[in-house]
Amino acid sequence: MTTPSISAVHPASSAGAGAGTRKLKGGILSLGLTVYALVTLYPLIWLFISAFKTNEEFYSRPFGLPDVWNWSNYARAWEVADMGTAFMNSAIVTLLALAITLIMGALCAYVISRFQFRGKLLVMGTFMLGMLIPIHSTLVPLFILMNKVDILNTYAALILPYTAFELPIAIFVCVAYMNTFPKEIEEAAMIDGSGYWGIFLRMMLPLSLPALATVGILAFLRYWNDFSFALVFISDPKLKTLPLSLSIFATGYSTDYKLTMAAMALAVIPTILAYLVLQEQVMKGMTAGAVKG
Amino acid sequence: MSSALRIRGFIAIGLLPALALFVFFVIVPILWSSYYGFFDWKGIGAMKFIGLDNYKEVVQDRLFWHSFKNNLLIVAASVFGQVPIALLLSLVLLKNGWFQKFIRASIFMPMVLSSVVVGIIWGYIYHPQIGILNFLLDSLGLESWKMQWLSDPAVSMYAIMVPIIWLNVGPYLIMFIAALQNIPSEIDDAANIDGARGSRKLFSIKLPMIWDTIKVAVVLCISGSLKAFDLIYVMTGGGPANSTELLASYMYNNTFSIYRFGYGSAVSTMIIIISLVLVAGSQYLMKSKK
Repeated sequence: MTTPSISAVHPASSAGAGAGTRKLKGGILSLGLTVYALVTLYPLIWLFISAFKTNEEFYSRPFGLPDVWNWSNYARAWEVADMGTAFMNSAIVTLLALAITLIMGALCAYVISRFQFRGKLLVMGTFMLGMLIPIHSTLVPLFILMNKVDILNTYAALILPYTAFELPIAIFVCVAYMNTFPKEIEEAAMIDGSGYWGIFLRMMLPLSLPALATVGILAFLRYWNDFSFALVFISDPKLKTLPLSLSIFATGYSTDYKLTMAAMALAVIPTILAYLVLQEQVMKGMTAGAVKG
Repeated sequence: MSSALRIRGFIAIGLLPALALFVFFVIVPILWSSYYGFFDWKGIGAMKFIGLDNYKEVVQDRLFWHSFKNNLLIVAASVFGQVPIALLLSLVLLKNGWFQKFIRASIFMPMVLSSVVVGIIWGYIYHPQIGILNFLLDSLGLESWKMQWLSDPAVSMYAIMVPIIWLNVGPYLIMFIAALQNIPSEIDDAANIDGARGSRKLFSIKLPMIWDTIKVAVVLCISGSLKAFDLIYVMTGGGPANSTELLASYMYNNTFSIYRFGYGSAVSTMIIIISLVLVAGSQYLMKSKK
């Protein structure tokens, strides 16, 4: 800001100076923001660069680039950490849980949004309660329960609780979205002779795609990244998911840093790809998920 | 089949499977474990009824309250770290240009990583011998600032707060930007006509207009503090000397390391009660402070 006395004397030049300082300020701000963003991204950049190094380079020049980019680190990490198995397990568990979450969530949301029945408030209240319970406090109770029904060390030990804990947010996001549809569209379908299943499959599901996308992204990231449930419910090496096998690998190979880095880099590629493609939806979805869940 | 029956049938098929799954895996275990809390039980073999002994032991264990204090420290780090950083950034990242979008997306990025990966990376950053933080301090000539970041009980808890803040700025930033963009432009125009500028506009108009969002953010910090278990488990396991123990890791260590399932169940019940009281209490306080 220039002072009024100067601007009274040289109106034209002061306007130029004002714009100049504003530009300078804007430049400094942009520079500061860029630095902040790079600092935020640095741990990740460091991860991907370190994964190409030798162990010596990792110790002696942690900030430098590798002399030779060792792609073989990735291949070796894949093999040594048995990441094929872990990727497969994570993919199976995530996809199955995702499918069940979306189908059950959408169907439940359709019923809650469109039908009147006794006990509706009770049902909604029950699901609401689920969003208040801190997920980690249930590790011991769930372990005891799954031990009793004998499903520890199965895919179901992850798929079922993942789905159960994700259902409330899935239902509430979908109900909020379906409530905005006008009633007329179903009445038209009713006259055409579609039953409730027909309306659900041919009308509600396609119309709810944006809400389902939000729910799906959120669920995908939670399932793919989950560590605590896998840690407590899975001990069979053949069933270990990616985060669990990474944590074990990092402890076991604690001095072979390049391999651990390469294994981690491989493990984060799917979520980073998903993020690069869908960043706006991921940001909105995860923020909504944080507020509601 | 009559149409009333068909409606009922459809409602039942639509609701019951989801409701059953949810009740069985979320509600039942919680109720069940509050019951197991009354027993001395190693997970296998006979259960011995001991009344309130487990619950008494939880309440009297100094380590439990120490863990609770660490949870509160994380709440404080979130309220005084994440929230102000996100708020400041939101004020300068309000426009929807490509540059602002790029910065927002970069800041949000850590959220999509598994907490195991985050924990191992930060473990390497803090590592006493190979860590890049100590390496950086060395090369800047600040040897005296070098520390055993994660293995010195006096600093470990504070060292853990940095990745927690780093990780969580993103969603708060997006929340604040959405709230700021929701302020009607007429209000901004009116303020400009009245001659309000920079900081005056910030404190008299923008902050009051998004105050509700800030309150939501504070409540989120409280419930979010209970989610730090993964990071702590990977980085320190609650150590050294229990200095970074959280309620959840305390429960984990007291159940699965020493096979005290009755005691672990009692701790689980206590955590749920504490967190419900905290969340309900914070929401009540936020509502009444109008």
